[in-house]
Amino acid sequence: MVKAKAKIYTVGQVNTLIKGVLENNLPSRLTVAGEISDWKVHGPSGHCYFSLKDAGSVLPCVMWASQFKKVKFKPESGMAILGTGCIDVYPPQGKYQFYVERMQPAGVGALQLAFEQMVKRLQAQGLFDDKHKRELPRYPQRIAILTSESGAAVYDITESIFNRWPCVRLFLYPVPVQGEGAAAKIAAAIRDVNGRNAKLKLDLLIVGRGGGSLEDLWAFNEEVLARAVFDSAIPVISAVGHEVDVTIADLVADARASTPTKAGVVAVPDKQEVLEHLTGIERRLAGELKAALGLARQRLETLLANAVFRSPRLLARNREQRLDELQTALAAAVRGTTALARQQLSQYYERVVKIEPHRLLGTMALELGDLKSRADRAVTAVINTARMKITAKANLLAGLNPKAVLKRGYSITMVKETRQVLKRADEVQIDELLVTELAGRNLIESKVTKK
Amino acid sequence: MAKNNEKDDISKMSFEQAIKELTGIVGRIEQGEIALQDSLEQYERGMTLIKHCRGILQRAEKRIEKISEQHVEPQER
Repeated sequence: MVKAKAKIYTVGQVNTLIKGVLENNLPSRLTVAGEISDWKVHGPSGHCYFSLKDAGSVLPCVMWASQFKKVKFKPESGMAILGTGCIDVYPPQGKYQFYVERMQPAGVGALQLAFEQMVKRLQAQGLFDDKHKRELPRYPQRIAILTSESGAAVYDITESIFNRWPCVRLFLYPVPVQGEGAAAKIAAAIRDVNGRNAKLKLDLLIVGRGGGSLEDLWAFNEEVLARAVFDSAIPVISAVGHEVDVTIADLVADARASTPTKAGVVAVPDKQEVLEHLTGIERRLAGELKAALGLARQRLETLLANAVFRSPRLLARNREQRLDELQTALAAAVRGTTALARQQLSQYYERVVKIEPHRLLGTMALELGDLKSRADRAVTAVINTARMKITAKANLLAGLNPKAVLKRGYSITMVKETRQVLKRADEVQIDELLVTELAGRNLIESKVTKK
Repeated sequence: MAKNNEKDDISKMSFEQAIKELTGIVGRIEQGEIALQDSLEQYERGMTLIKHCRGILQRAEKRIEKISEQHVEPQER
């Protein structure tokens, strides 16, 4: 029989006790090596839940989203890591778990791993492909340098450029090159100058910084910067860190300068070489022209060697001679033509003479006289005939004249008052006066006395 | 390649354009593609281009302008 009553704990009390034991007996922070299993990132919250295990043991782990954000590489199941954090009890499930605050890959460094992972990913997306590389301008005129204003890199880059190619115009776009947000700012600067390049007229961009730890250079390994470099329409040269450092930016850029001091060699031609090239061109041009002129001169001389040119007066004389010949020929031709014309004229004369015009004229006069007398005779005959016909008609007409019968003793009696020709006796009254016309218009007046 | 305003034409050319044309001229003359009269003209143009290129190369301001997000301001080094 136990006198003292055994203490009864609530579940909560037990867990609180255990929590106290853990807190008192474990270091407040510890680093655990193990292999990740059951890696899960909770979608909405971004918190990570997983376990670390070794040969025969498992430790449940949690990593809050806020801490996970700082992890550069991508943890996954099977990966050996070193996790740093604290052990605590999780009362709702009655279990203890490891709250991981930082983790890094066991073996290689975390950043190294992150870098390798990023290379793999972007490579798979084709960001490093040669086909996307823009051609660098051969003789750049306007170059923008995107780097820290205070770093040594800006001096190294500008000196290396001006030493080779002093005629270029350089523009500095100051950007932070390390620390939180640096990558995003460089990326924004690249997009900014691209957006304004109609005005800025840059033909080349150089992004870079001097050497440092992998962590210092980390901005140049971030995806946001890689994307901006990839998207840039202006060719981009990366000039980051030391010879041995290779960054994602180096891989995406159109060309890489292994260090800022090598930027000039990659970006611009050497003025001396270009001048020599120009001199070479000048010499070639002059040489070619000289050759062409020489050839032309030779051809000219060949032509001048011709007899015509050797003795120009001969040419003139030849021409004179030819002129004489032509003149002679012309005179002969004129003479010939004249003679021919004359001959033809005399022939025509002969023919005209043979026609004897005066004789012809005599015959024609005779014929004309004959024709004239025949015409006269014919006309006279016609006139006589006509005249006779007229006389006959006149006689006939004279016989028909009522007055003509008066000559043969007839007379015309008229009623004096009416002047009507009297044809019947009943046309007059007793004592009426009559007028009788006799030949030669003699008139007598009489009175009717009896009917 | 306009023959008028040749000088203005060339003075506005970038180094790259000038070198490109020069190379073309040398090539054409060397291949004997052009008549003597044209060669003379091309030679003269070539010489003007060379002069222009040398002029560009002589420029050496050695100064750096600063671009910030919205404006460009010259800054002596």
